[in-house]
Amino acid sequence: MKTNWIKLGLVIAALGAGFDRALALDGAVVIANPGVTADSLSADALKDIYTAKTKYWDGGQAITIAVLPDKTDAALQQVCGMDSSSFKTFWQRLAFSGRGQEPKKADDAAALVALVAASKGAIAIVPADAILNGVKKIEVK
Amino acid sequence: MTKLKKSTNQKAWLTAALGAAVACGTQAYEVPLSFFGTNLPPVDFHGFASQGFLYSSDYNYLDSDSKNGSFQFSEVGLNASFDPFPHTHITTQGFLFDVGNIGKYQPDLDYGLIDYNFSDALGVRAGRILRPEGIYNTVQSVDLTRTFILLPQGMYDARYRDFSGAVDGGSVYGSLGLAKAGSLSYEVYGGMVTLSDHGGVARYLEDTLNHPPYTSYNGEGDFPEFGLQLWWNTPVSGLRAGLAAIESIDYNFDYSISPLIGGPGDIHSSLDTTGLHPSLEYQWKNWTFQTEYRVNYQTVDNTSGGRPYNAGSGHAANETWYAAAAYRFNKWFEAGTYYTEDYNDLYDTGNSKQYQKDLALSFRFDPTDWWIIKIEGHYLHGTGLLHDNADNPIGGQDDRGWFMLDLKTTVSF
Repeated sequence: MKTNWIKLGLVIAALGAGFDRALALDGAVVIANPGVTADSLSADALKDIYTAKTKYWDGGQAITIAVLPDKTDAALQQVCGMDSSSFKTFWQRLAFSGRGQEPKKADDAAALVALVAASKGAIAIVPADAILNGVKKIEVK
Repeated sequence: MTKLKKSTNQKAWLTAALGAAVACGTQAYEVPLSFFGTNLPPVDFHGFASQGFLYSSDYNYLDSDSKNGSFQFSEVGLNASFDPFPHTHITTQGFLFDVGNIGKYQPDLDYGLIDYNFSDALGVRAGRILRPEGIYNTVQSVDLTRTFILLPQGMYDARYRDFSGAVDGGSVYGSLGLAKAGSLSYEVYGGMVTLSDHGGVARYLEDTLNHPPYTSYNGEGDFPEFGLQLWWNTPVSGLRAGLAAIESIDYNFDYSISPLIGGPGDIHSSLDTTGLHPSLEYQWKNWTFQTEYRVNYQTVDNTSGGRPYNAGSGHAANETWYAAAAYRFNKWFEAGTYYTEDYNDLYDTGNSKQYQKDLALSFRFDPTDWWIIKIEGHYLHGTGLLHDNADNPIGGQDDRGWFMLDLKTTVSF
């Protein structure tokens, strides 16, 4: 019986190792409001934010996700494993059940940067060529 | 005449709500808030409004006139939320709906809660909370969060939302990292289920117990419920497995069988229910696969005049399951199908009046970011989920197939 549990543990560990992921955003960067204390995030920490496991920054400031629909879909998929439609549905389920705040939307990269600059606790994925005024760039390790 | 006027007012109200939602466009409203001279974070508002159509080939199912086609299938919700203090989230949602003679556009508090998050691993919610159970229980009223119009009705019955939706109490929740094995999310809750006089269970009991062999239905009581929902988010991207356990205690109602026809007079019925609900969901590329199962074990204790009344007392069990697949072709079109079976009585699974089987095919169109149109067909066997009463007599066992056609449109902001 004990041997079976050890085997099960080895299988789970091997499965996990097989799906270990490295994150290198393609054509996009992560930005945040200047008031956010973090300068860098691990890939897993960033995924936890985009999948609603982490809802507050250290210190208790609520995290506000801002999105640019259709423009950063590939990077969003890399970050949280969801395309923009799945991501929208995921957050609608949280927002309409009292379990989260729906991400805010912007129409273009400049508007997204301005939204993040003006919103406490905001974070966003923006195209790499966006002009970053009034926001801080977050390094993804 | 009065009834007609009331109905007209209700439709006007709903139309106004729909119009307001459309007018809001794609963005949520955000309202700045000042409090004792301090600028608090803004309040976010979101809402939705849905209007549906139901047509049934053989029985009046869900609505009392679906055989002729019915528009009595509507939902409207409006929520507000803000984060006034560190780690603190306050949110509330008002909701009204109409499905046949259930709901009747009466506004209800869907949820209203304060949420304090100590860490990713531990948070608490207090107030009226939507019960976490399976993939859809918390959003079963929100059409825009799924491909289908009607969820598998044995598990997420559109008529019994006051019974299955929320508890007045609290919950403890969090997410625990499991290193290479993914993560585990949990929510443990407890509270009172407050039943609505215009809710589905009250209507069902009225329909059933106001007809022979019963004499009258005399009301029902609120009851406590406790439960747990676990989700294992596996290391395989998009794959998660869930398990919910539910315990409800002393759900009770009163009715009578007149001594003139050989009955005992007033009867008090009390039900204890233990439920188990495993779920599996896999999102792979543009596909979503889901399957869920629920079994309930019930103990029924009837008394009359303070003494045990054995008729109807004892143990009962029911189960339901479904398997679903959906594919999104592009941002504005997706299609899905599911097959589901429901057995009201696990000890009588061959009786078509006690089971219902449903094969559904659904198409969803998203013309804009805030507007959804759906069309859905159902091929059903059995009548186990129908309300069998004088207005909708089911008759004997009938295993012929029958059809339903559903249409629905939703706007949101």
